[in-house]
Amino acid sequence: MSALIRLRLAGFLRTGRALAPLLAGLVVLGTLYGGGRAQPAEAYGVSAVVLFPVLAWQTKILLDVEPDVQRRLAQVAVGVARERLAGLLAAGVAALVAVAVALVFPWLVGGVTGPVDPSDRSVPVGVALGVWAHLLAVPAAVALGALASRASVGGAGYGVAVLALGGVGAVVLGLAGSVVPWLAPPIMATARTTAGDAAALTLLGLTAWAVAWSAAAFGGYLWRRRAQG
Amino acid sequence: MRLENVWLRYHRRGPWVLRGVDVRIGPGEVAVVLGRNGVGKSTLLQVAGGVLRPGRGRVADRPGRVGWVPERFPADQPFTVARYLTGMARVAGLDGPAADEAVTGWTDRLGLAAFRAVRLPELSKGTAQKVGLAQAMLRPPGLLVLDEPWEGLDATTRELVPELIDEVLTAGGAVLVSDHRGETVRLPGARRWTVADGTVTEETSAPDEAIAVVEVAVPAARVAGTVARLRADGHQVLRVRPDASSNKPQAVDGAGAVVEQAAGETR
Repeated sequence: MSALIRLRLAGFLRTGRALAPLLAGLVVLGTLYGGGRAQPAEAYGVSAVVLFPVLAWQTKILLDVEPDVQRRLAQVAVGVARERLAGLLAAGVAALVAVAVALVFPWLVGGVTGPVDPSDRSVPVGVALGVWAHLLAVPAAVALGALASRASVGGAGYGVAVLALGGVGAVVLGLAGSVVPWLAPPIMATARTTAGDAAALTLLGLTAWAVAWSAAAFGGYLWRRRAQG
Repeated sequence: MRLENVWLRYHRRGPWVLRGVDVRIGPGEVAVVLGRNGVGKSTLLQVAGGVLRPGRGRVADRPGRVGWVPERFPADQPFTVARYLTGMARVAGLDGPAADEAVTGWTDRLGLAAFRAVRLPELSKGTAQKVGLAQAMLRPPGLLVLDEPWEGLDATTRELVPELIDEVLTAGGAVLVSDHRGETVRLPGARRWTVADGTVTEETSAPDEAIAVVEVAVPAARVAGTVARLRADGHQVLRVRPDASSNKPQAVDGAGAVVEQAAGETR
């Protein structure tokens, strides 16, 4: 299966379509860190929020680059389940690379600062919280992008709609005071947590929420793929 | 391998393309899938090959390794021929040296050596089809599924297809092949499955059945197409001869030919 993951990543990179989400990601990060300096945990929490739709879009592009017949050839070679898993893992690898860029980016442009007040978190703790926030966003974004992919929805128009609704919904439904926050992945709640008190129990709860939401979204993707044949 | 009561439709409320199909094929056997355009030949092949999942029924005892040659090879990919085939060889489970060896062997054999560094979108239809053939053969398949394999191929490679089929059969594999051009006359021992109205019927040879010879006069320019259609419909074309009266002025094509076909022996 690793050979299929490499083939899909190579196809994604060689078409040049990887550039669009990369540039979009750099633009949103530049905008985010262009306004001033923040402490790592707070900055990374917001970074994970703005990266979420970019990662989902990147996933959709990666999965859509492969022609439908080529996807079927891969199914014949490795089986249906492995083909689907390979696509998701390839998207996950691409998302992790984007996250790595997002984690390094603020240090290159001077967008983060160390503790100012004695009560502030240390840099390592802030970075650890930032990594956690991004890692929570990755599976949810990959699942949303997969749901919006051509193999899942059938047509390009529906895919864009799913992507837009998912991206906006994650922010709107995640606002403080939302009555149905569980309908969205906890990226907004995570950002609020990294900016405030990050109690261990809260971190655990948010992690469980992200895992459950992603599992449901992946389940939806697999169900759609099954329905699409 | 058996297809047991297989039903398939592409959408929940769409029409059934396959309805209660029951067919089987064993090791060392080749079956030709015949039928008019759009009746479901490709669908049947894709169900057999594991590309499509039946809505009802099941496919039992499918060989572990399947080679599928789609009707149209997906050439819109950012790889060279060599890079693509090496990638597919590794996807099929071959390690580095074995993958390289298989790719070199098949590109040489199919006349693709000169195209190894050419990007897939730049290939002609026939050359792309050869790449499709090569990727299916990189590992010897237990089931080879060929969807219109002769389409777009040059004469040399068309002759090679029966040879490849023979090799798969000799190794104990099974082969399914669809054809609407009548090329499967090159596979004399093949079983013949006819797809019509969502069902598949196997033509059985009946040596004692009476045979009638029907002479059909067609314009000379249409001989090839008529012969192909007759063969695709399961008829045996005995010979093509010039029409004795073709010296006379013809209203349409100026020349004619008579196709003799045997009817009744295959249906």
